[in-house]
Amino acid sequence: MAEFVKVTKVFDAAVEDVWKLWTEPEYVKQWWGPDKFTCPVAEIHFKEGSTSLVCMKASQDLGGASHYSIWKYTRIVPLESIEFIQNLADEKGNKKKPTELGMPADFPEDVRTEVIFRQLGKDKTEMTVTEYADFGQMSHFAQLGLDQSMGKAVSVFRK
Amino acid sequence: MNFRRDVFQAISDPTRRAILSLIAVSSMTPNAVAEHFDSARQTISKHLQILTECQLLRQEQVGREIYYHLNPGKIKEISDWAEQFRELWEGRLKHMDKVLKSMKKN
Repeated sequence: MAEFVKVTKVFDAAVEDVWKLWTEPEYVKQWWGPDKFTCPVAEIHFKEGSTSLVCMKASQDLGGASHYSIWKYTRIVPLESIEFIQNLADEKGNKKKPTELGMPADFPEDVRTEVIFRQLGKDKTEMTVTEYADFGQMSHFAQLGLDQSMGKAVSVFRK
Repeated sequence: MNFRRDVFQAISDPTRRAILSLIAVSSMTPNAVAEHFDSARQTISKHLQILTECQLLRQEQVGREIYYHLNPGKIKEISDWAEQFRELWEGRLKHMDKVLKSMKKN
């Protein structure tokens, strides 16, 4: 499994509030949809071994299609970390292969996702989301820009 | 043809990744590449063929020798593809920031 996507942000908020973004359906609904999408469904079953169902619905000008995902929690450490496996699903929460839903064959499956919370102060919390996908070393390629020196390229490959 | 699937299959093999990292340093002939590995030359030449077919490598004839070069444009395509997924999360982080600000007001 290679690191696929990694994003970090420092929020001006207590770790308890940042944690709630993941545990309260009302909050999940407000952020899961990217721009031009809404999130009409967030059935959150926040417990190790349980599975949540979330939906991303495109705006009308983008066709209005709904995309369901499931998050199966594998490890939860309160206020510290959440680990889950993301997959595409139907509206009942049954796992689907990306190709069954008309997605390209290279759409990642079984994406292991890790959310790490780090309290930096009373109202300062750093949150990091890392997605791991089984593409061999694709993330290393993702770090390899066209303009990078060959020396750098080598160090990326050797990791 | 599904270019991306092919490329990802190509780079999922550790020997092929090692070959790419060698050729990233300097262009090489198949023999020079093979000297770095215990595998049979035929095996290495098969790997080179796969990497060339999905355009991660380019061949160049210099006199009697064939040299393999890295094709940075192709690698850029892969990184652009991964970038879409990163942007999705960047957007979500922005939304989270808004949610947290509205939580405070209430």
